[in-house]
Amino acid sequence: MLKVEEPQPVHFSPALIEKFGEIVKRYPEGKHKSALLPILHETQAELGWLSSEAMDKVAAYLDIQDIEVYEVASFYSMYFLKPQAKFVMEVCRTGPCCLVGAEKIMDHLENKLGVKEGEVTADGLFSWRGVECLAACGYAPVLQIGPDYTFYENLTEQKVDDLINDLRNK
Amino acid sequence: MGRKLLLEHINVPGINTLDVYRQNGGYRAVEKALKNLTPDEVVEEVKKSGLRGRGGAGFPTGMKWSFLAKPEGVARYMVCNADESEPGTFKDRYLMTHIPHALIEGMIISSFALGASTSYIYVRGEMMPQIRILERAIAEAKNAGFLGKNILGTGYDLELYVQPGGGAYICGEETALLESLEGKRGNPRIKPPFPAIAGLYGCPTVVNNVESIAAVVPIINDGGEEYAKIGIGRSTGTKLISASGNLVRPGVYEIELGLPVEEFIYSDEWCGGIANGKRLKATVAGGSSVPVLPANLTLKLANGEPRLMSYESLSEGGFATGTMLGSGGFIAFDEDQCIVRNTWNFSRFYHHESCGQCSPCREGTGWMEKVLHRLEYGHGKMSDIDLLVNVAKNIEGNTICPLGDAAAWPVASAIRHFRDEFEWHVNEPAKALKTNYGLANYAEPIAKAEVTTGN
Repeated sequence: MLKVEEPQPVHFSPALIEKFGEIVKRYPEGKHKSALLPILHETQAELGWLSSEAMDKVAAYLDIQDIEVYEVASFYSMYFLKPQAKFVMEVCRTGPCCLVGAEKIMDHLENKLGVKEGEVTADGLFSWRGVECLAACGYAPVLQIGPDYTFYENLTEQKVDDLINDLRNK
Repeated sequence: MGRKLLLEHINVPGINTLDVYRQNGGYRAVEKALKNLTPDEVVEEVKKSGLRGRGGAGFPTGMKWSFLAKPEGVARYMVCNADESEPGTFKDRYLMTHIPHALIEGMIISSFALGASTSYIYVRGEMMPQIRILERAIAEAKNAGFLGKNILGTGYDLELYVQPGGGAYICGEETALLESLEGKRGNPRIKPPFPAIAGLYGCPTVVNNVESIAAVVPIINDGGEEYAKIGIGRSTGTKLISASGNLVRPGVYEIELGLPVEEFIYSDEWCGGIANGKRLKATVAGGSSVPVLPANLTLKLANGEPRLMSYESLSEGGFATGTMLGSGGFIAFDEDQCIVRNTWNFSRFYHHESCGQCSPCREGTGWMEKVLHRLEYGHGKMSDIDLLVNVAKNIEGNTICPLGDAAAWPVASAIRHFRDEFEWHVNEPAKALKTNYGLANYAEPIAKAEVTTGN
């Protein structure tokens, strides 16, 4: 497990703040809270996860209460409230994927990486978890890796091994 | 070979770009609607087409549009539901990936028909690649004058934006989607008021599925009456079917509604039969929420007539012997699949995705998951089977949104049709851990010899 760091002031890059500004323009005047989900995605893509300091900063930017950010970040499955591995491999574990071997892929990941679901490898590079239906049932089994959510389809154990090697050398 | 209205040009190289899309007839419908028709005439064409919501509920799209309130001086919103999350459904992802301009063209016409000047496409957050594709396509359309101020010189203004979700099945429910689009948790709202009266930001709003919106394009091009000639009875037009599970060729298919289910599963033109030379055990015909049917009832109605891929034929016989077309997420199970395990899997899904507002759903989905888990793992009791039926019955109809029903139906139908398999798990727990029950004895799949596997 990664150690949870002491609270530290977070820094948002100028590019990130610029993105916030573009996102907010999509909504009518006074409805800027609509920007919250896209802004959290952008923030997570830059920082890797959403610390409470980062969420407070988003709240200040949107001029809403801190709790309005926390309650949203904790509701949706894509937001990480803890530090993560560099590559979080999310395997679809819902019905159609399991009909064609998703459970075997998860077993293989566990053996190959030597960590249980949700745990991070010692080098900090990898973790894996089962997630619910990713709407790719015809190309099952599938896994995705954020923050750009690239899809890896029709998985076999060999393809998973190759993917891990590729990512390790990235 | 059935007619293709949405995927006709799917294999044309570069169809994802504006230029190639236009060379293949794209954006003609926008020109026709904005220049030659009034908004009410567009609504009228969609009504005449008989188009029914392609997201799952099957409610007539034109009628939904006609309910939109139009108070003076209040903004109206058109929102596209691209939160495709129903297990077994992946047609919207396919459409947005390969032919994004079909959705954008449909959004422009629909927004014009409803008098919206700002519209949103709410895409599930995991579809980040599709979000980028749509954003690029919107920029192309804007550059070509199909979006923005004074579109094609008609005086109509429209801004179109893509909004990512955060990973929550419940946001496919339209009022939860609107909550999410407002930057909140995806808790469904109590209806009424319906979104047509008070939707996004409290303003009149229409929410339609990706495929419904894309279908507006051929409806405007060819006319609603032409569209209504395709299909069968009140199931007009074509439908995208997402085929998954143990099939030779899973994937997205555009069918004319009314195609026999047997042909869809076994014909080489479509899914090519059951993979690996196995036999069909059961299907879930319309996404995980609809009742599961054994092979015999999938292929034939209770009276022995062939079952068709249409709203009416799939629901023929009610829940006793029928199911629903739903979102068109067609999942096939071969003879090696365990119904108890799959039902447990779906229950876990609904438990995970319940928003927690209504206690029957919040508590009931977890309860069903727990009971199904112990049945699957050899600790079940005979009384657990009726307990599941009872819990499902107490969720159904007792929640704000349909997620409760969607969680209850798979469990109730699995026990209705495969009770002997559940009982076998209780009577033979050691065996059930090692092997599967196999074909239900009342399923009469097509004999192996008659099946063309295509391999």
